[in-house]
Amino acid sequence: MTAPYRSLARWAAALAGMMLSAMALADGAHVLRYTADHEANAPSLEIHGALDNGLMAPLLADFHARYPDIDLTYRNLTTLTLYRRFLSEDEASADVVMSSAMPWQYQLANRGHAQALTTPAARQWPQASRWRHELFGFTFEPVVIVYRRDALEGATPPDSHEALLSLLTRERQRLKGRVVTYDPWRSGAGYTYATEDAYMSPRYWELVAALGGVEAELADTTGEMLDGLAEGRYAVGYNLLGSYARDFVADHPQLEMVIPSDYALVTQRLVLIPKRAPHPKTAERFVDYLLSRQGQQVIRDKTPLGAVHTALEGEGTARDLRKTLGDAIHPIAIDPSLLATLDTLKRHSLLERWQREYTRLSDSGP
Amino acid sequence: MSPSVNSPSLYRRLLIWLLVPMLALGTLMLVQSYLASRDTADRAFDRLLESASLSIAEQVKRQQGQLWMDLPPAALKMLASNAEERVFYALYDAHDNFISGNAELPRIDNGQGSMRFTNIQWHDMALRLGVRRSQLEGWRDRQPFEVRVAHTREGREALTQTLFQGSMLRLIAMAMLAIGVVLLGVRMALMPLTRLRRAIRARDPRTLAPLDLTLPRELAELRETLNDLLARMRRVRANQERFIGDASHQLRTPLAGLSARAELALRQDDPRAWHDALGVMRGSADKTARLASQLLSLTRLNNPESMPEARDIDLCDIARQAVRDALTSCHRAGIDLGVETPSHAVIQHAVEWQIAEALANLIDNASRYGASRITVRVGENPMRLEVEDDGPGIPEAQRLLVLRPFHRGMEGNQGSGLGLAIVDGIARAHAARLTLVPARPNAEPPGLRVRLHFTEESTP
Repeated sequence: MTAPYRSLARWAAALAGMMLSAMALADGAHVLRYTADHEANAPSLEIHGALDNGLMAPLLADFHARYPDIDLTYRNLTTLTLYRRFLSEDEASADVVMSSAMPWQYQLANRGHAQALTTPAARQWPQASRWRHELFGFTFEPVVIVYRRDALEGATPPDSHEALLSLLTRERQRLKGRVVTYDPWRSGAGYTYATEDAYMSPRYWELVAALGGVEAELADTTGEMLDGLAEGRYAVGYNLLGSYARDFVADHPQLEMVIPSDYALVTQRLVLIPKRAPHPKTAERFVDYLLSRQGQQVIRDKTPLGAVHTALEGEGTARDLRKTLGDAIHPIAIDPSLLATLDTLKRHSLLERWQREYTRLSDSGP
Repeated sequence: MSPSVNSPSLYRRLLIWLLVPMLALGTLMLVQSYLASRDTADRAFDRLLESASLSIAEQVKRQQGQLWMDLPPAALKMLASNAEERVFYALYDAHDNFISGNAELPRIDNGQGSMRFTNIQWHDMALRLGVRRSQLEGWRDRQPFEVRVAHTREGREALTQTLFQGSMLRLIAMAMLAIGVVLLGVRMALMPLTRLRRAIRARDPRTLAPLDLTLPRELAELRETLNDLLARMRRVRANQERFIGDASHQLRTPLAGLSARAELALRQDDPRAWHDALGVMRGSADKTARLASQLLSLTRLNNPESMPEARDIDLCDIARQAVRDALTSCHRAGIDLGVETPSHAVIQHAVEWQIAEALANLIDNASRYGASRITVRVGENPMRLEVEDDGPGIPEAQRLLVLRPFHRGMEGNQGSGLGLAIVDGIARAHAARLTLVPARPNAEPPGLRVRLHFTEESTP
């Protein structure tokens, strides 16, 4: 943890100089602006992303330091707004769109709304983290289990789905109401993980039944779950976004983060350049930067997002996770099966089944 | 006969006629192979559409009174190959209402069977669309529905390219081989021609011996034609040689006579004897001079390169002139020479000196072979010249022979044997018919009528 902070300090000095001239916050907390040094005819770049400003700021600052001539605007939107705004004809298109909602991003690229990027960095990008040359996964974030050490004393820690299932079954009374997971109805990420989990193994439904058995709470965001865990309301959280959990757990010693050892879903943030992008040149430069060693290094060192670049090692990088977990790493594939999760009938079917399994034990139980 | 740059080469001609169609054929085969490759690729990838649509269709059921499906993600994965095609799917009910899917895909109306394929242009994308018609499997409810799947053509194009490149390489190799074989074949086929040329060139220019060379049938014909020509030339040369031999013999005899007569006279002292000898010698010299001039005429007539000038002449004039010229000598020999002409001019396109020569020869002949009465006659319709006498005539068997040079109707007579040959030559030069018939067939002697009969095309 010290290394990132040291370099952060170095960057803070650079940022301070920049902020004097450039950085401005407009439109509340949802827009980050870096104006160009030479204002006349500066090429501009508008990025729409479903990433918190806090996560994006180091990346944008580094990019701005490298290309100070580009007038940079980052707009933080929710995944759904992002998608709707993209498809709306009236709104001016962004130059770069990045989002963690993989199916929606895939749907856009599949419809031919993205343009190809063929810079060397893009061409060398790992096959598993891109689709054509239009869609690139630039982060590597495992889906994890977080639990409170004190709450599970005497029990086997849930280091896999199998172990979690047996824990929930054995400690049903003790854990009643103290388990939390994503609400698949309200959260897109929760729904995506549910489809992937169901696809991985039919025993997932037993796990859902067990979750229903302990009357698990359903949350909308990872942050909500982490807060509950820190406060002691929950003992176990299932399917949390590892990138957020890692730093949080580091700050809360009573919490423990486990990447399931049987299989660990990995989600990736996908970036694309819209065909309608008004400034394709600067957009290409930015995405190329995201995929470059320098950009990935910033992601590794200053964000918890996890670098994908094959040459980078260190905590949270794809290379590191693959080395420690091997075959258990299961990145959500950037392929047409993502479209299936968007199918409304499919969604109904899955959620119905989820509901059925979730309520199975409570109905029949004592 | 040296090969000129502009003259077309047989070799090149053959090559063009073989290679151009071959290239055209090759191009056609390339196009065909491209179409076949595309067809194969389409069929291979249509299987993907077929199985994907099938696995989707299997998941369609009826739930809460409407069509329902649990979309299998594997079905969508199936639609994309390594080429990472964009994939689209949709479920439609029997009334063409969109139920679910990621794109509104059109229907295919034409075609047969439960699975139909077509290429469509959809939102600037070239798609291959597959539509499966199916129906619910149930005891009562057998509602029909359509599963439509589509993907972009990248994978198909890549496979087409691979297949096409393979067959193109094979085709190119075959074309190379074929061109080599054609080059070799044409060279081999034209080899006998080279052999014939070499054989002709290697010949002694003086020899007229036939070519003896084994050649293919087409060239053997040429060789036979050539040999025919050579044979004709041999005959012509033999004729010429005989003619020269005869002519020199004919000239030597009077000259030898002259020489002998002069020697005899020189041995005598009597001036009277000298005078007699001189008289005989003059007659001999006259005869020789006439012979020489006849030989000259004959040579001129036989020379195929000479182009005598023909013009319109009056046959009556010619006939009268000929009679005038011969009148003195005939009168001396006691021969009655006469001419019969129409009162008006008879115009014929002819070479004047030749016609005059022919008449002179005929009159001379008649007077030499014992005629006492000679009539030159000009006739019309058809235009003709006749010389008629009351001499002994020519027996029918001899009539063709007398036309040959140095053949004399009667041995021992005083003619040169060239007269009728010259007339025949002139007749042939004018494309006129020469006929020899008895003047009075039933009388004795029968006499002879030589007739020059001008025909339509009688222009020399």
